[in-house]
Amino acid sequence: MDVATTANLLQVLRDPTGVPSHPLIFQVLMVFTWIPHIVFVNLTLGSALLALVAFNRRNHPDWARLSEAMTKVAKVGVSLLVVLGVAPLLFTQTIYDPQWYASNVLSAAWVIGFIFTLIIGYLAWFTFYFKNHGEHAPNWAGWLGGFGLVMFLLDGFIMHVLAFQGLLPDQWASWFAPGGQVDMSGTGIHAWQAGRFGFYLAMSATVFGAFLMAYADYFAPRADRPAPYRAFVHQLGARVALAGALAQLGLLALWLLQVPASLGLWAHPMSWLLILYLGVLVALFWRLRASMTGAGYLVLALTVGMAALVAIFREVVRMAYLAPFSYDALDYKVIWDYPTFVMFLLTLLGVGGLMGGFIITTAYKAGRVSGVYEADVVVSRLATGSLASTIVWVVAFIGTGIWIWLRNN
Amino acid sequence: MLETLGLYPQWYVPVIGSAWVMGIIGTIHVLASHTSVGASWLFALIETKAVRENKPELMDYIKKYGLFLLVFSYIIGSITGPGIWYSVTVASPRGISGLIHNFVWVWATEWVFFFVEVIGVYALVYLIGKVDRRTHLKLTWSFAVASWATMILIVPILSFMMWPGNERWYETGSTLDAAFNLNYFAHLGVRTAFMFAIAGAVGGILAATMKNREVRVEITRFLSKMGLAGLFLGVVMWMWYVQTLPENARIIMETQMGPKYGKFLGGVLLAVLLYFLWTAWKPLQLRQGAAVAMTLVIGLFGLWPEERSRESIRKPYVAGQYIYSNQLISRDVPGKGVRSDLPLIESSGVLATHLFVPDELRKITPENQLRAGEFLTKTLCANCHGIEPDAVLRPLPALFGHSDEPRMIKAYLDGALYHGKVPYMPRLPLPEQEREAMAAYIASLSGGLSPLALAVHEPRTEGAH
Repeated sequence: MDVATTANLLQVLRDPTGVPSHPLIFQVLMVFTWIPHIVFVNLTLGSALLALVAFNRRNHPDWARLSEAMTKVAKVGVSLLVVLGVAPLLFTQTIYDPQWYASNVLSAAWVIGFIFTLIIGYLAWFTFYFKNHGEHAPNWAGWLGGFGLVMFLLDGFIMHVLAFQGLLPDQWASWFAPGGQVDMSGTGIHAWQAGRFGFYLAMSATVFGAFLMAYADYFAPRADRPAPYRAFVHQLGARVALAGALAQLGLLALWLLQVPASLGLWAHPMSWLLILYLGVLVALFWRLRASMTGAGYLVLALTVGMAALVAIFREVVRMAYLAPFSYDALDYKVIWDYPTFVMFLLTLLGVGGLMGGFIITTAYKAGRVSGVYEADVVVSRLATGSLASTIVWVVAFIGTGIWIWLRNN
Repeated sequence: MLETLGLYPQWYVPVIGSAWVMGIIGTIHVLASHTSVGASWLFALIETKAVRENKPELMDYIKKYGLFLLVFSYIIGSITGPGIWYSVTVASPRGISGLIHNFVWVWATEWVFFFVEVIGVYALVYLIGKVDRRTHLKLTWSFAVASWATMILIVPILSFMMWPGNERWYETGSTLDAAFNLNYFAHLGVRTAFMFAIAGAVGGILAATMKNREVRVEITRFLSKMGLAGLFLGVVMWMWYVQTLPENARIIMETQMGPKYGKFLGGVLLAVLLYFLWTAWKPLQLRQGAAVAMTLVIGLFGLWPEERSRESIRKPYVAGQYIYSNQLISRDVPGKGVRSDLPLIESSGVLATHLFVPDELRKITPENQLRAGEFLTKTLCANCHGIEPDAVLRPLPALFGHSDEPRMIKAYLDGALYHGKVPYMPRLPLPEQEREAMAAYIASLSGGLSPLALAVHEPRTEGAH
């Protein structure tokens, strides 16, 4: 399909309803809500792999303990990456709907396969979790865990394909009807990019390594997590993170080489900022490679910062790919809907802040004590605020609804 | 440049159709998610009782049910939730796009609740006995209210899919006018009632395994009462729900769904009623197998027909009575600046204006007529109809009486379909040649005449309908 026809295609595929707030709001939300999503993707893949490696060394008590802990991390990680993935997906579909829908329909069978392979993989992982206790855990449980990880990787690959195919709109028509023969099966994987996908996999090692260091520091007050175990985990984390950051640098170079030179990404400041940041991380992890304790929270925060840069870079890449077709998310038709925009903001701050803050704070504090945790004043107030915010929200929403319903019907 | 349609490529699923793929995933999700929301209220009520009456042993049940929920609802439920989204994306991209662009902030708000709900269930289960009781109770109630809020927020979208219920949204384009449509509160009532009933049934699976006899009796009776309350509330809400449906939906209910599923659903209702009465009367007789069976009965024989019916009675629309199931926009929506696709189709047809049509099919010739007919039929009909004679999803050959006579089929396309005279079918004012191609293709599915025959027997006369 030629450039002009592709540009027209992208315009007519946009939803005629328009968007209910300025597209920049959606673009910013899309980029920033993707950060926690990818961090949990990385955390899950990293912890799942280490859980399996440690499972194979479970004769040693440190490895056995680490395997159990990382199995739990991956279990919770999948739940959170799914829920955290909803928001960026929603905002992507709002301003990049042509790209996302076309790409999905053209590989529809894989999209459906994603759902079932994720369920099967997660159930396999749960079974591994139920059985992975101590050195006498059965070998077959490890195989099941391995199967779960393979499913997670397959799902990651499917997501990569769907995102990447959306960047190549001039090829969609030829994928749908190769040689003029229409293919409505949706069974094709039409495009993928080794550098890009590999970069995200390597990022898992970096993020997860930093998480291990923070994990070791977090349990410092707990007597049931002895210092030698924490030191072992901390050092392992630094080494994993170092390897991950180095691999990221190499794969970023490959990614940039695989992007058409005409898009000029080598010259973009975000590319160099990311390279520089990764270089700093490599230097930092090199310094910390033998460290036994400390700096865990700092390096975790720094890797989250790296994820933020990757999120922005990813958007820069998308804009570069779509620019030749004159697609600019910011010129989407806007028909403002202020009430629901305000509702979202208030809910995010009120319910998200109070209830989310309450749960995270309580879990953090309770995890650092053995026995029953008695809520302090802050947690106690957060608990009351959490409950109050949800009740007030329901009353306000239903009340508004009754008023509008009576007025309109 | 010729004006073009905003249609995506088509995904075609043989025999069961993309509608069944959505239906299967949707049914699994509704079962898991409603169980979760209902269970959250069950937890809150039981935990309140445990704290007030100083019965910490009741918390054992919450822990057990909570762990079960983590697997059942928060693996299967939370994956099939986005899973519905994914399946609708590939089956009905313009339909889901319309909903997202109308309700993005409602969905984003639901996501906030979804997030606190997911971290909430982990905290609720794993912090039992690890934080003081009052703090935990506040957590459990927050979780219950937040869980229900996710339902409160998704029902505006689901009920808008049925219809806005008045003209206001078409004029204002306001999301709140769309959200609080005529159908909303009745629909919310039905789902709220159902969540209590299903949580009562699933709860029995765990209650039957409780070792403490007193706890087992107390919990099982509690579940029975909750299930019965849900059942009665559900019946009342259903009667209201029916009154809030559009005319096309009521016609389909009376003529098609009622005869097909009516007695069946009545039987399921009776079985559930007897089950809860029995477990209230003889709680110790409840066995895990019976509770599993009851859950399966509700899921397979209650929920599946109900979800299929809800999808069917919405026909021919997929959202807001302005987007057809086949992705065409059927009317103007001035409040959103949306224009109907039908005038363009009437003047220029689909093949010339759909950008994904291969060049070879843009102009119909005797040589490509069947292929063009196949493309049109799959694009315009396959969201609701199977193409194969043995398809399970309203197979077209069977609906045309396995006719191999293109003229008979074309008469339907020329008349009822062209003018939109069948309440549950879309208006499809296609040009003569495209109707001919579709008729030839559909006839060929039943071994009909060669595609050329139609062109020879019936010279094309634009606008001759």
